[in-house]
Amino acid sequence: MTAARSLPSIDREQIRARFALSYVPERHRRIIAGQEVIVHCHHYNSRIQRTVEGVADIDGKGIVRRASEQAFARQIAYAIEETDDEATRWVVAEELFAELGYGRLDLSKANEGVVTQSAGHFVEGWGVAFGDDRKPVCTLAEGFIQAAFIAIEGQEVEARETECMHCGADACSFTVEKTGAAAEVPAAPERIEGVSMQEHVELAESNIDDQAIINAVVGLAIRGTEEGLIPAFGVYLANTPADVYNGIAIEFVEEMSKLGRMESATRLLNEAGESCAMNTFRGIMDSPEWEALIAPMLQDQSDTLFALVALSNAFGWGNWGVTDHEPGESLEMVSFNGYEALGFLESRGKASEAQCWMLQGVSAGMMELVYGEGSFADRFGTFFVEETDCIAKGNSVCVFSVEEA
Amino acid sequence: MTRRERVRACIHPETFKYFVARDDVLDTWSRLSRAYGEPVVADGFGVVEIRHPRFFIRATRMLNPITVIRRRHCTDADVQAIHDLLGFRPEDCAA
Repeated sequence: MTAARSLPSIDREQIRARFALSYVPERHRRIIAGQEVIVHCHHYNSRIQRTVEGVADIDGKGIVRRASEQAFARQIAYAIEETDDEATRWVVAEELFAELGYGRLDLSKANEGVVTQSAGHFVEGWGVAFGDDRKPVCTLAEGFIQAAFIAIEGQEVEARETECMHCGADACSFTVEKTGAAAEVPAAPERIEGVSMQEHVELAESNIDDQAIINAVVGLAIRGTEEGLIPAFGVYLANTPADVYNGIAIEFVEEMSKLGRMESATRLLNEAGESCAMNTFRGIMDSPEWEALIAPMLQDQSDTLFALVALSNAFGWGNWGVTDHEPGESLEMVSFNGYEALGFLESRGKASEAQCWMLQGVSAGMMELVYGEGSFADRFGTFFVEETDCIAKGNSVCVFSVEEA
Repeated sequence: MTRRERVRACIHPETFKYFVARDDVLDTWSRLSRAYGEPVVADGFGVVEIRHPRFFIRATRMLNPITVIRRRHCTDADVQAIHDLLGFRPEDCAA
């Protein structure tokens, strides 16, 4: 690993050691630097961002920036050690950004108002999914830079991307303006754990060895390379704090509800999940990882679906499983600790409606991917999902019922 | 003759699996190693991989087929070069 550009004496490998993954097997949770992180790929991440930023009447970039700033300020602060001098603290922020898979930031001149990025997860993601949509796309990085100033300097700043590789620049550039206000690391919501018990639910059986898949994923180093990207399963992965996804989804729905468009908001979030299932999982199913370990387990068509569920559990989406399945026709899934339901409960309290927009979309999308025919466009919307129970509503588990539309 | 199949929903839209003739697999990997660096075996799934600024070159431990993922700065000349190493001639295949 290269030495710090401005600080050659700092050992970045030692800094990276602070971000060692802690996996909690009974809850299928991945924890890095004190934050539960969720593994998603460039397809989902760029799509959810585009969904939120694409609505004209709300400040979508502001929503993404705020969610990032809040969660990453906590994570950076957690990773900083008391004995770190200021220069080391900036390196901690740079390396955390890279470790999580977002790319390579240069924060060495952040205090002079200039930040650059030489590789970016969202640059890659938009390049694949939305190549013709030419505008700066590194909003999450803006939030991360703001978070770094809160955690390191105790200052509020506004970071804005002025040039982006997605638009053809050689590197992404950000300006940083100090507002003059002090800022504290925001407190985390009070965490809720173990609201449900798996032993009361009987899961359906398949030919898939779930534990072998989970062990392989947990054994895989899902951490950024020197350039801060995580190429694996034929896609670019990133470890994103659950609080970032929840902050984005909850505020997006709230802002849209103020405009009387809650139904549109939730449908858009569902579609992002549905697209995630079809694109991310399609990519994974074509990867050497799938071919090496999972393909030999497949005996029935439905085994593919069970394998995808095992993978998603290992990615930290929560502990969910299939309770009933008629191949090609219907699917019932139960989630014991989905991050969306818990996140809503933690930050907003009990909900009147189900809140697992991503898992809803993924449930339908998996059926469309495994049993559908034709192009993705042909398959889209061919299965309908209803989340009949949700932990956020006070139910003991979340239940997803999927049927042909 | 090497043939190829398109891989969908990947990092780059022009991603393919190249199926190399069985008796040429080891020589192909030798050529790829000399050109792009030594392959490493990743933990977890045991995928064999060369990471290069222009390509990700990946396979199971069986080493065949070979998935070639083009990266952002990959040029037509880069593609031609790796096709030569893989023994792939687009004009021979419909894919």
